[in-house]
Amino acid sequence: MLFQRFLTIISLVSILSLTACAAPTNPNSAPNAQAPVKLILGAYTTPREAYSKIIPSFVAQWKAKTGQDVTFEESYQGSGAQSRAVVEGFEADVVALSLEADIDRITQAGLITHDWKAGAQRGMVSTSVVAFAVRAGNPKNIHDWADLTQPGLELLTPNPKTSGGAMWNILALYGAALRGKVNGVAANDEAAATQFLQAVLKNVAVMDKGARESITNFEKGVGDVAITYENEVLVGRQAGQQYELVLPQSSILIENPVAVVDAYTDKHGTRAVAEAFVAYLFTREAQEIFARYGLRSIDPQVAQATAQQYPTLADVFTIDGQFGGWAQATPKFFGDQGLYTLAASAVQE
Amino acid sequence: MALIYLTVMLIVPLGVIAQDGLRAGLGGLWHAITLPVAWHALTLTLWTAAVMSILNTVMGTLTAYVLVRYTFVGRDLLNAIVDLPLAIPTLVTGVMLVVLYGPQSVLGGWLKQTWDLRIVFAPPGIVLALLFITFPFVVRAVQPVLLNLDRDQEEAAATLGASSWTIFRRVTFPELILPVISGALLSFARAIGEFGAIVIVAGNLPMFSQTAAVYVLGEVESENRLAASAISLVMLTLAFGLVLSMDWLHKRQQGH
Repeated sequence: MLFQRFLTIISLVSILSLTACAAPTNPNSAPNAQAPVKLILGAYTTPREAYSKIIPSFVAQWKAKTGQDVTFEESYQGSGAQSRAVVEGFEADVVALSLEADIDRITQAGLITHDWKAGAQRGMVSTSVVAFAVRAGNPKNIHDWADLTQPGLELLTPNPKTSGGAMWNILALYGAALRGKVNGVAANDEAAATQFLQAVLKNVAVMDKGARESITNFEKGVGDVAITYENEVLVGRQAGQQYELVLPQSSILIENPVAVVDAYTDKHGTRAVAEAFVAYLFTREAQEIFARYGLRSIDPQVAQATAQQYPTLADVFTIDGQFGGWAQATPKFFGDQGLYTLAASAVQE
Repeated sequence: MALIYLTVMLIVPLGVIAQDGLRAGLGGLWHAITLPVAWHALTLTLWTAAVMSILNTVMGTLTAYVLVRYTFVGRDLLNAIVDLPLAIPTLVTGVMLVVLYGPQSVLGGWLKQTWDLRIVFAPPGIVLALLFITFPFVVRAVQPVLLNLDRDQEEAAATLGASSWTIFRRVTFPELILPVISGALLSFARAIGEFGAIVIVAGNLPMFSQTAAVYVLGEVESENRLAASAISLVMLTLAFGLVLSMDWLHKRQQGH
């Protein structure tokens, strides 16, 4: 009887999925300058609000310039998941991701064939820094990395295995310690930095799947501090959240890449509009929108104009400068025997 | 036709997991399983599922007994509610438990203040989530057997002066033992693979509250397919063993 019930449920589910598959797909019309064109954007979740403003303004500009209508199909999910989806056949014309390593994966799959870092900004469309969200009034007096080891403090940071954002967090913390910017931790001492990493990990109460889930949990009242991107905190505050932003004196510069996916744009015949869209993202107009939604601008003039909102940190380092790029940092920290992996297991013993 | 369907829908995908997990040979499989974080995730999954199965067996049997043997207002409604956990996305179950027992809720705050007890973001939360999700399994395994039970023996025992507890223990329960075990095994098997609710309530700290299913997601996302398939293979083998023993129990029950 129980099994009959299961069979009913299973057959219902399969009927549903069959129906979903049978939905008509858009016929792939031949590229034509005047025919409407569809552009597929595969992005990570953070800049969603910014793109909701940038896209309409690009559409209007493209229409005025070429007379062609562009419609956008937008997909937002975790950077790593998005990048894997593209590799596995999600035909995004343009990808906007959280870290370079996720673009590299698409390049290695042979889908991006041009040198996407050739431009003046090396393909990085916005930046941010790793920062802290604390409760209104900062009741636990959190001002810098060293404060995160207070006994009994509850921290939120996502799981580095599933979240690019979490990798930034761990590297920011470790880098700051290594550079001698954490009180009580000697500079250039890997053992001391690892020990500091363990002390912070000891206070982690929840590890969510992604940066968004983590900040959502913090908004629900879980934890005293969330380690996250500066822009997540700023966007949350814009949406009326009461938590506050704390910038540590030393942090890692998060650089967010965009690229045209050659294989898919050529297949769709959308190269011209895809390249124009990526170029548009670097214009002052688009950069101002990014800055409005919590992201630091890569345009020097926009950056200067918004310097009040985005104070310069005493010490900022990059993944390339401090850790020799993702290709080296990922196995060194997050592999089977990586520094983070070992520290995380040591903490609970 | 049905056989082809079964092969395409079940056997081939399961075969892929098995093949993938054995890609690096048995040594590689063993290495992947015995990594401290993986090993802890597996044992955590098994003990939380075991605790849940025991609680669920006791309470599920009692619930079925009450639903069949007693008439009271709202019985039909209650009977219908038993199945609800099957229809709710387990993610929703997780969110609900966090709202109910989270540090910000009245109940969760009180438990933390008074008893220093942490329910969500700790193993007890996992057990609670599993209990909710698998609640129908034991009830629905026991109920039909109870309904079809010949009541003459019970009445005879009652005439001979046995108390209702003795009747349940000595007369009714022996008839129920096979369905109870089969319900318990089914809930255990279901619990091993649970993901949606657990990823929300557990807190997912490696070596503390990260279960096997959540560990597998982490390995998939960090491109470590071998570790992911290895752990999946272990979970699959366990579930397969459970299903086989359930099948055997069913056969015995019918031969009974």
